Amino acid sequence: MPPVVDIRALHKVYEEGPMRVEVLRGIDLEIAAHEVVALCGPSGSGKSTLLNILGCLDRPTSGVYSLGGRDVSTLDREEQAWVRLHYIGFVFQSFHLIPDATALENVALPMYYAGVARGEREERARAILGRVGLADRAEHRPNQLSGGQRQRVAIARACACKPRLLLADEPTGALDSRTGVQVLELLGELHREDGLTIVLVTHDMGVAAFAERQVHLQDGVVVDERRADASSG
Amino acid sequence: MRLVGSEGLRMAVQVLLRNPGRSVLTVLGLAIGVGAFIAMVSFGEGARRSVITQFESLGTNVLKVKSRVGGRDAGGRPPRPLTDADVRALEREATTLADVVPLARRNMDVTYGGDQHRTALHGSTPRFNVLRDWRLQAGGMFDETDVAERAKVCVLGMTPVRELFGSRDPLGETVTVGSMPCRVIGLLAEKGRAISGADLDDALVLPTTTMSVYLGIPDGYMYLEIRPKSPELMTAARFEIGEILRRSHGLAEGELDDFDLLSPDEVTRAADQTSRILTGLLAGIAAVSLLVGGIGIMNILLVSVAERTHEIGIRAAIGASPRQILSQFLAEALALAVVGSGAGAALGALAAVLVAKPMGWQQSLSPAVVAGSALFGIAVGVVFGYVPAQRAARLDPIQALRRE
Repeated sequence: MPPVVDIRALHKVYEEGPMRVEVLRGIDLEIAAHEVVALCGPSGSGKSTLLNILGCLDRPTSGVYSLGGRDVSTLDREEQAWVRLHYIGFVFQSFHLIPDATALENVALPMYYAGVARGEREERARAILGRVGLADRAEHRPNQLSGGQRQRVAIARACACKPRLLLADEPTGALDSRTGVQVLELLGELHREDGLTIVLVTHDMGVAAFAERQVHLQDGVVVDERRADASSG
Repeated sequence: MRLVGSEGLRMAVQVLLRNPGRSVLTVLGLAIGVGAFIAMVSFGEGARRSVITQFESLGTNVLKVKSRVGGRDAGGRPPRPLTDADVRALEREATTLADVVPLARRNMDVTYGGDQHRTALHGSTPRFNVLRDWRLQAGGMFDETDVAERAKVCVLGMTPVRELFGSRDPLGETVTVGSMPCRVIGLLAEKGRAISGADLDDALVLPTTTMSVYLGIPDGYMYLEIRPKSPELMTAARFEIGEILRRSHGLAEGELDDFDLLSPDEVTRAADQTSRILTGLLAGIAAVSLLVGGIGIMNILLVSVAERTHEIGIRAAIGASPRQILSQFLAEALALAVVGSGAGAALGALAAVLVAKPMGWQQSLSPAVVAGSALFGIAVGVVFGYVPAQRAARLDPIQALRRE
């Protein structure tokens, strides 16, 4: 099976007037299907930029990014949106739920953009909420939910359109450690049951240990890669 | 994909209902604009129709020759007066005309007892069209016999009556016009002032012949009212009158007419044109307020986009395309514009009906104007909504997500 993510010689340069900052300086990275990878590194290492490019929110300055065998490094904004909708699910540190919408509406939203009819969308959103253990919270708004519950709604939303790649940016960063573990367990469950490919960005080594493989970034390059079984062994 | 679907519209309405006070304020400007537009166009149209009706009542089968004597001199030799010679020439030579009725006007002193008043004398005949519109308050109008016999009789307007008689009854009394004694046989009903401010009641009407023989008409007739034999002969009559009057005035070829020849449709058209210009002006002013309403929608939506930047970032991150975000905000603009224009159309129609009545204008609320204005208002709202919608669509999702 070809890798879900195949990145070759990826560079990202920000230019603002005379300032020229090279944030990513030649990244090569392959992520196989059904893999769970943690991107680790101190702040400023370029991991957020890499995540944005992986999520088609941003484009590399040079290099090639293939997602599911398709080159997505030069897409325009409409095409990027289409790829995000159908291939990618995002989970953010601060949840990023729409505050005026109920849990159900939040989960159904990507399906709305994908053109799924209203009835089917609500049915599917309810089913997914059930899977993340929030069937009885469907009509609650985010401010009526705890942090852990909000992150579970966000995960349900990320999975709504059956993505190939789930990107989680510090998914436990805003949670206490016990809730954080529950969220990680939920991600693990989705990984095992649906074969979801997950990329976690974290500087928490405890969270990174949850991944099968850890990729360490520093100053825009990959400095270290290890497999969980090797490090724990 | 449709730009704005029904579901998008439903969601837009939900968003707008979250902040009902603001939504109402947003549409207020547009509602006022649309309402003002409908009201103004309806008023203008009503006034126009009233004016036309007035002019049409003067008779549509009548040509009018107007003297240029006393008017502005266009250079060259002074215009000749319209005289009995002209009238006779028309009656003798023309083959298309049924009737030529002159009207003379001259200001003269009228005295009664020791009181004196200067008023406008109208020398005319009962056939003169305008006279038919002059209602009498008391007594009667002179008849054709009086005209033929040059009877020394007159009909007084209310102003000379007030000035000369006070509270006494003028009927049957004899006034002195210039040096000619003249019996008052009728009183004109009060008419008030013309738009120009002229006192329409300051008048004395007497037979043309009487005026011509005893008082003289040094400036000639002011008008000739001419009726063709049939309405179909209007154009031919026009041509013939021009020819005969030019000849009788001794105008050489290439010299301009020294009289004005007006056909009723021309007069009506002129009045029509004037009121159309007025209507256009009113509508223009109202259209400006409509634009201001559109700008109001734009402002509020721009604020809304700024406030919801984070939300837009979320939507973009989970896969909403720029086009879908654009359509979401356009749907909001559309919903606002529809509600605003609808309310405005109702207000405008109501105002048009309520105001026209006491003003005595004809009712002229046209469904086309109401529908057209409402649609125009909707278009304005959507066009102005496009700017904020595009701003939302162009937001960079990464930047937008960072903004809380």
